[in-house]
Amino acid sequence: MKTARWNYAVPVRGPLVTAPLVFFSILAAIALALSVWRLFGGLAFTGMNDDYAIGVWKTFNVMTLTALGSSALAVGMTTWIFNQRQLHVVMRAALTSSILFYGTGMFALGFDVGRPWNFYHVILPWNWNLHSALLEVSVCMTAYVAIFLLYENLPAVLPKRWFDRIKPLYPYMVAAAFLLPAMHQSSLGSLMVIAGTKVHPLWQTQMLPAFYLMQAIVCGFASLIVILIVACLAWKRPLDVPILATLAKFMAWSSIVFVVARYADVVIRGRLGLAFAPDWYSVLFHGENLFVLVPALVLLSERLRHIPRVLFLGAAATAIGGLVYRFSPTTLAFRYGRSSIYFPSTEELLMCVGYIGLAIALFILVVRRFAILPDRVSEPDRIPD
Amino acid sequence: MSVSRRDLFRTIGTASATAVVASLPAAAAETRTAPADALGLLYDTTVCIGCKACVAACTAANNLEPDTEMSGGIWQMPTDLNAQTKNIIQLYRSPDGAESSFMKRQCMQCVDPACASACPFSALAKGKFGIVEWEPSRCIGCRFCEISCPFDVPRFEWAKFNPKIVKCELCRHRLPEGLQPACTEVCPVGAVVFGTRADLLREAHRRIAANPGKYYQDRVYGEHDLGGTQVVYLSHVPFAKIGLPEVGNESRAHYGEKVHGVVYKGMVVPTVVYAGLAFLMRRRFKVHEDEAAHHNREDQL
Repeated sequence: MKTARWNYAVPVRGPLVTAPLVFFSILAAIALALSVWRLFGGLAFTGMNDDYAIGVWKTFNVMTLTALGSSALAVGMTTWIFNQRQLHVVMRAALTSSILFYGTGMFALGFDVGRPWNFYHVILPWNWNLHSALLEVSVCMTAYVAIFLLYENLPAVLPKRWFDRIKPLYPYMVAAAFLLPAMHQSSLGSLMVIAGTKVHPLWQTQMLPAFYLMQAIVCGFASLIVILIVACLAWKRPLDVPILATLAKFMAWSSIVFVVARYADVVIRGRLGLAFAPDWYSVLFHGENLFVLVPALVLLSERLRHIPRVLFLGAAATAIGGLVYRFSPTTLAFRYGRSSIYFPSTEELLMCVGYIGLAIALFILVVRRFAILPDRVSEPDRIPD
Repeated sequence: MSVSRRDLFRTIGTASATAVVASLPAAAAETRTAPADALGLLYDTTVCIGCKACVAACTAANNLEPDTEMSGGIWQMPTDLNAQTKNIIQLYRSPDGAESSFMKRQCMQCVDPACASACPFSALAKGKFGIVEWEPSRCIGCRFCEISCPFDVPRFEWAKFNPKIVKCELCRHRLPEGLQPACTEVCPVGAVVFGTRADLLREAHRRIAANPGKYYQDRVYGEHDLGGTQVVYLSHVPFAKIGLPEVGNESRAHYGEKVHGVVYKGMVVPTVVYAGLAFLMRRRFKVHEDEAAHHNREDQL
């Protein structure tokens, strides 16, 4: 695999219609067709019921996958606030993947809620219930995707002279684009706090909002590393290992903070015994932590984190651990110890997968035509931005 | 450029600061109390004969289609609260058969309801007489009321194009006509009675005092449990056996709002954080822009 210092974002170009695009488009088409059907048929075809009232569209597409869509938050904060200027070159990839993860998640949410036509209350502040974590998520996530994340993505798609007109807003918009996801990513954790004893005590804690946010940061780094490596392999671009290693270093330290805080929380709440109980919950608990902690310890080594294979496996394992953690309170550790479980129906799963397929298909289309992915280019190929 | 040690410590510092903010003490979460005219029910397991007249009356009074699925369409036979059943009589029997009890389930009309705290646009909220009311025009069908309710009461019309949340509202449509809830009206033995919460609690304590040792722990369930409920229970078997969770006196809403309430109180924390971020961003933006221009000049662009 070639390596080089990335210096500019360059379109992939090439034919628009390719086998992978067709594959992901078919997944998306199936999901869209089922979504239209769902509008007329209600939600009875899903695996959800009154005991397990939230299913994968909410718990996976939104509450779990927006962690992968938090690259714009994690890498953006690192670039701007922690002054890692060299990361500017990967920001467009982070912003594009973020808006697609969030956008398709919110799309899924539109079909999950039973009475979506009443969602207009989100723009009527006098109808807001400020005690509700879900209100916070609704308002904040909508505003983030529709205004701030969209604005951040404009430089990649708008002609420069158009964007220059709204450029003076940039610092204020970006500051909001850090605050809002920090708010709603933590509120996603608050959602399950009010479920109280329905969530297994290893997961139920007042720290859920903090943990969900930490995991958004961790997964934000992890997903960008994975996406960049996969994209470079797919389109035969050189890898900029030092940039990826920088991302991995931040990911490793945030992972360690998360795991330490999580064990500390369990000890302080006096629930450590449950972590060693002979059941699947303790296995799940340690599994989530080890998938995040082991890669972090490996990637602390300067030498190891400059090996692309280690970077990829480390980031992928971290993302898996993080995603399972975000999935557990709503599903795996929800209504624990019962004989019944929630399992999504086939149609429900096809829609869940299809929305992800939609995000991937759009990503492929966008990076082919717009300057999103980083590359090493010599002068004649450069697109001034 | 590599990551300096100082930057890393700053990153960690930010994460820990977030954690500290998130675990501030519970000071801001308010403790709610029942309104003076709070109405409710008192159900006494030692009186109930399990005739289910209340189940049929409830269905009729609320214009619900009787759930006849289990009986093959012959008679009303719900197995649990559901989108057609706002009130149900269930039977608890211990494995050895020595102990048994009927149990009436419907909305508990919590003093501090978790559903109302979780509901984003207050479609579920405490209304007149402390009854937890559902307002269709505000409901987006998110079902977080079902996730948050400690008694698993709210139900959702899964099969409907325009689904409603179904739960007991203490027959609030009958009260202005001077009628009492259908269940208490038809109960032939007075196992469930209607009244103000204060009167019901007084009556419950009178029964306990008159019959020492008859009732479990000589206690009224719902007087303090989960922040208090307006529907209260007397039982001869442990409350947990008949589906009343023994999880302390703090309401779910109070527990859930501890952190959220502090962080979002008056939007002070978000505003301060935004001001800090915007200040830093303005400085960084200028520096990074100048650098980019310089970098482009070096590249003769």
